[in-house]
Amino acid sequence: MRNKTAVVGVGYTAEQGTVPGRSALSFAMEATRNAIEDAGLKKSDIDGLLIQPVIGMQSYTVAAYLGFDNLRLLANEDVMGASGSALAHHAALAVTSGMANYVLCLYGTNGKSGRSGPAGPGSGGPGGPPRNTNSAYGLFGASAEYALAASRGMHVLGTGSDTWADIAVSQRKWANLNPRATFYQKKMSKEEYYAEPWIAEPLRRADCCLVSDGGRAYIVTTAERAKDLKHPPVYIAGMGQNHHTSDIAQNVHTTGPTGAQKSGEAALKMAGITLKEIDAVEIYDCFTYTVEITLQSYGFFKPGGGREFFKNGRTGPGGDGLPVNTSGGLLSEVYYMGFTPFTEGVMQLRGQCGERQLNDPHYILCSSNGGILQTHATTILTNDDSAMHIRE
Amino acid sequence: MTQDARPRGPMPPGVVAAPQQQGYAKPLPAIDDENKPFWEYAKKHELRMQKCPQCATIFYPPSSLCPNCHSWEKAEWVKLSGKGTVYSFIVARRATNPAFAKEVPYVVAIIETQEGGRLISNIVNCKPEDVKIGMPVEVVFDDVTEDITLPKFKPA
Repeated sequence: MRNKTAVVGVGYTAEQGTVPGRSALSFAMEATRNAIEDAGLKKSDIDGLLIQPVIGMQSYTVAAYLGFDNLRLLANEDVMGASGSALAHHAALAVTSGMANYVLCLYGTNGKSGRSGPAGPGSGGPGGPPRNTNSAYGLFGASAEYALAASRGMHVLGTGSDTWADIAVSQRKWANLNPRATFYQKKMSKEEYYAEPWIAEPLRRADCCLVSDGGRAYIVTTAERAKDLKHPPVYIAGMGQNHHTSDIAQNVHTTGPTGAQKSGEAALKMAGITLKEIDAVEIYDCFTYTVEITLQSYGFFKPGGGREFFKNGRTGPGGDGLPVNTSGGLLSEVYYMGFTPFTEGVMQLRGQCGERQLNDPHYILCSSNGGILQTHATTILTNDDSAMHIRE
Repeated sequence: MTQDARPRGPMPPGVVAAPQQQGYAKPLPAIDDENKPFWEYAKKHELRMQKCPQCATIFYPPSSLCPNCHSWEKAEWVKLSGKGTVYSFIVARRATNPAFAKEVPYVVAIIETQEGGRLISNIVNCKPEDVKIGMPVEVVFDDVTEDITLPKFKPA
């Protein structure tokens, strides 16, 4: 599957962040329109539609409003936060098999100003734990459940607020270079990080992702078809997934390795590269601790090594380490689940990231993580044509 | 974040919230056919979990199927010692739900029972700053309404 498929269009919404008075569907439609235009395709070219559903939104409803009346592939696909990358995997399999030619992968939400946010465990809705008795004990939502994981992480790994401050501050600096980012004009120092209120100790507000309105879409097709389109193709070099236990109290993966490990190994193997070839990572950063434990699980550092890895802006703009979450990520750009990191990986490889553009990247690892470190999907993207040949 | 304070989604099919009783405003556990015995034993001040007759795994949350070996044999509800350790914990310093406003700061923990099963609970009779991971704890029963008793844990 290495480089057999490519991402050929990315659709943003003109406004993102806090955009009251609009439905999730309207954002989804705007992102779709923009992705098709970005790819240089026509509406009638799209013959596959995969959506990550939010509360009240279904693939067939979205398809109807988009006026797609000849789809050959249509589905809701929900593995919570892992969907942003996982949808690309199924799209790639579909276009490779010939089941569809151009598959549009879509997310739209008005979770900030309205009601149509993610349907995962934090919502307490149908996607939540099978028998939720946690609220009786005052345990509410994903922030508190991730705080349980992070607290265990502090105990086992010896990291904590000082490491997470580095992560949050570096990502904020990336956001300060991204005009689309919610925190484009809002700087944050380490002192300001420590002054943030507790959401659930040990997580402060600055450790937690945004909640946003808006949408994001991308289109997957075969490498052959991608060659004739508007932008240089960004190939899918490797894919992998790994999913496990569904309940925070039973989860034995909270201090790693998470699903990032096995999904990362699978993706690297398919791509025929090692971590050394990775120029940047776009990581699902629902919480700062998620960034630490995900990169640790991929093998970028040994358990507890996050303390050095993220230190003093090494992963931020101009840092001497690996660039991490160059859009500002879910913490500081916008929260569109795994679509935020995935589409940033594509745009960096197309060289369209303005002030935050990396210097000639060739391989970017994008990951999506869902639930409380439960589901994981990894995609390695490349703009390197020569990687059509096996690199060992 | 603010997401937590949003109206909750609908209950899954077959699950009913225990009736709210006067004077107790906090959420009560959602009771269904499978977890009903857990709460009935709790009311009798017994901490019980299911034990797989095939592989002897103590499992929680309650289920019709052993998650370890997929045995479909009816699991026995075995009485636990009530002793365990703190696997992880958080300190809630703001009330996501207004019913907890008088409780903050309070501690929510994952308790690893001596027998192996894990559950979410509160640490009581202990200042939040004194709670440590690995700390030995034992069960206490909080009769919050006539029908519902919440197993909670205190330092052992």
